[in-house]
Parts: sequence; structure tokens; C-alpha cells
Amino acid sequence: MKKFLIVIISIIFAFNLAYTQEEEIKKDKAVRLPFNSGILIDNQTCEIPTAKTLEMLIQHRFGKMDNGIKDIWGIYSPGANIRIGFNYSILDNLMIGYGLTGRKMQSDFQVKWNIVQQTRKNTIPVAVTLYGNMAIDGREKENEGIWGVNYKFSNRLSYFGQLIVGRKFTDWLSIQLTSSFTHYNLVDSISDHDKIGIGINGRARFSPQSSLIFQYDVPLKIKKISEHHEFINPSKPNFAIGLEISTSTHAFQIYITTADGILAQEIYMFNRNDWTKGFSNLMFGFTITRLWSF
Amino acid sequence: MKKKSLLLITTVVITGLFLISWMVPQEQKKPTPWEVPEKYKKMENTYKDDASLNKVGKMLYAKHCKSCHGNRGLGDGPMAKNLETFSGNFSSEEFQNQSDGVLFYKSFIGRDEMPNYEKKIPDDEDRWAIINFLRTFKK
Repeated sequence: MKKFLIVIISIIFAFNLAYTQEEEIKKDKAVRLPFNSGILIDNQTCEIPTAKTLEMLIQHRFGKMDNGIKDIWGIYSPGANIRIGFNYSILDNLMIGYGLTGRKMQSDFQVKWNIVQQTRKNTIPVAVTLYGNMAIDGREKENEGIWGVNYKFSNRLSYFGQLIVGRKFTDWLSIQLTSSFTHYNLVDSISDHDKIGIGINGRARFSPQSSLIFQYDVPLKIKKISEHHEFINPSKPNFAIGLEISTSTHAFQIYITTADGILAQEIYMFNRNDWTKGFSNLMFGFTITRLWSF
Repeated sequence: MKKKSLLLITTVVITGLFLISWMVPQEQKKPTPWEVPEKYKKMENTYKDDASLNKVGKMLYAKHCKSCHGNRGLGDGPMAKNLETFSGNFSSEEFQNQSDGVLFYKSFIGRDEMPNYEKKIPDDEDRWAIINFLRTFKK
């Protein structure tokens, strides 16, 4: 773990150094739109709208697809999950946000910082972004099934931090690699409080406004940070593939995904759906974003 | 009794509005002349004839402009019919005779139904790329 952190910090430091040195010689502009939106299915991208822009998001997961035509592959089934969120860009590279997710009524507060951007002349080959959030479980405190007999407010809290390294390879292809850390203050007795995860996601554009998007996030089973001797029913990788259509102020994504949690920490910690098992573990979902500039 | 007359009035008003909607002229207004500041009239296109920007201009036009102005700049995009004022025919001589600076002002500063794009397209290079692309509509 320590080694891992040292590597990350030295990478950030090296890029920062390279950036300042280059700035003195000649300003190399950032690449044009590596991603169309700040969000890619469940993951954050290195894209942040220009300063003083408000972004509204509606993220939706339908029910599981296994009922087929009976409920139109889950679209009309109960058990949907919704997150409505608002993000505001304070600076061109700094964004804050708030969102509320239906399941567990989780309120989340988030920060995204674009440390460096990839440049056109390749003086900086990748974009490096840090993302963090804190979520507050909003279910009623009288529910002893969730909180036990000794209710404490701090048990509602969970945290998620992620380092994102992305590159726009060509005009049509952008790929990101992520590593993340999840912490829940309260979990059941057979689970761990902490989870480290890695992931890959990207977009392949096939027309000026449409792209194919995908993501694959893997929660790692690391013995060293586990509180138990063996992993009982550990969380499963999250796979999703879909389409993105974007316009001047909107992005619309529709996809098939395994995770219904929406919030990143929910997905890394609690996703038990396995995409290799087919329809019974998959669902449709969509995301709509809208931008307002001030 | 009161309820009945309320219902009657509502029905009459709604039916009336519905019928009137056919009488209101549906045609789009012709745009009034623009007041372009001197600064923009004299503005130089620093990226004129920069062929490396052709693709950029085309992409940005598709993203930000096409929905109203249409594929070929004829003002026939899918959103165009919702506009009160006709958004212009970019292939016309009248349009193409305007200087790059004037087009720059109209495109990115805007007025009324034409929104301001300074925030959405913050880079001057990108803006001129779009102006260059508008020139390709010339007939």
C-alpha cells in the first residue's frame, strides 16, 4: 500500500514539474474534448466544464433484464434506482457537486480536480485527475436492522477516492485507467471496511456526435487489507457497454450494466451482479446531463 | 350551478385558444439588421486558410450549430422550426459577403435567440475553425 501511494505521488509530482517547465518555454494547449461529459456510465472522466458552469445529471438504472418481454427487459420493472445530481465548476480544473441517490437515500458531496491535462503537442502525454466523495446514508435511524441498537451518525458515512489517468489516443479513441479506494464506516460482520479497486473505461467515437462507451471496474481482493481470513461473497467486477450522443449542452448515454448502485463506493463495495451470468445480472441504464453557463 | 358554469367557461376558453392557434401566423420573422461593434468589424481571422483546422471546424459545427442551422447551413436543422426568427441561409451570397469578424461576432457573442457561445467554445482557434467551416457552404 505504501509503495503504491509513493508511486502515485511521484507520478503526479513528475507531471506537475514537466508542466511548469514547459510553460516557461511555450504554451502547449490542452487536447480538444477527450470526453464529451464529466461522467462516463458510472465513472468520472478527466473532463470538467469551463468555470462557472452548472451541470445537472440524471442517472437511472432500470430493473434486471431476465423477465424478457414481460416487462420489456426490465425497463418497466420495479426496483429502479435514480440519482439526481448537480455539479458546479469553480475553476476550469476544479468541480464540486452534490447528488441524491434513491437506494439508501444517499446524499453525496464530491470534488474533482484535474491536476494536468494532456496537451496537443504531447509535452504532457496523459491527463491526471483526482476525484473524491463522501456519502451520507439517509435511511431512518429507527431501523435497527441497518444501524443496530447503538445508532451513531458516523455510521452513515462512506468515502471514495480515485486517481484517473487518461489519454486521448486519436481523434476518436480515448481510454482511462483508474485506481480507487473505498471506505465504509459501517459494514456487516463478514465484509471489509476498505476496498481497493482498479478499472478501465473509454469511448470510441464513430460520428461527430455519437460514441461507443464502455467500462470495466474490478474490486481487488487484497489479503493484506482484509479483516477476515477468507473472502465470503466478495463484490464482483462491474462491466458496462453503451452509446453516447452529445450536443452542445447535453450528453445522453444509454447502456447495459451490471451495477445498480450508481455511486462509485456502492459499486466497488456491494455489487454482486456478475456480467458473465447473463440477463439475470444485467440491466439497462441511462444518464442525461445538461449544462448551464453563467 | 357554480361548478357547471366554471366548467363551461373553461371549455370555451380552451376550445377558443385551440382554434385561435390556427389563426396566429406561423411564419418565422425575418431578422432585423445586426449592430456589430467596430472592434469585431475590423477583426482579423488569424487562422484563415489553416487546413489543419478543417476537421475541427466540422466537428464543432456538428456539435454546437447543426441542430438549428442544419447540415449545410440552410437554417433547416431539426430545432429550426421552434425559432421565432429565421436563422439564415449560410450558402447565400448575402451571408458569404460578410467579413470574418462580423461572422465571429454574430456566431459567438450572439443576440436574442442566437445564444452566446464564448463559454462553450472558449478557445479562439476553435472559434475561427468554425468560421472557416462556414465558408465551405458557399455556392
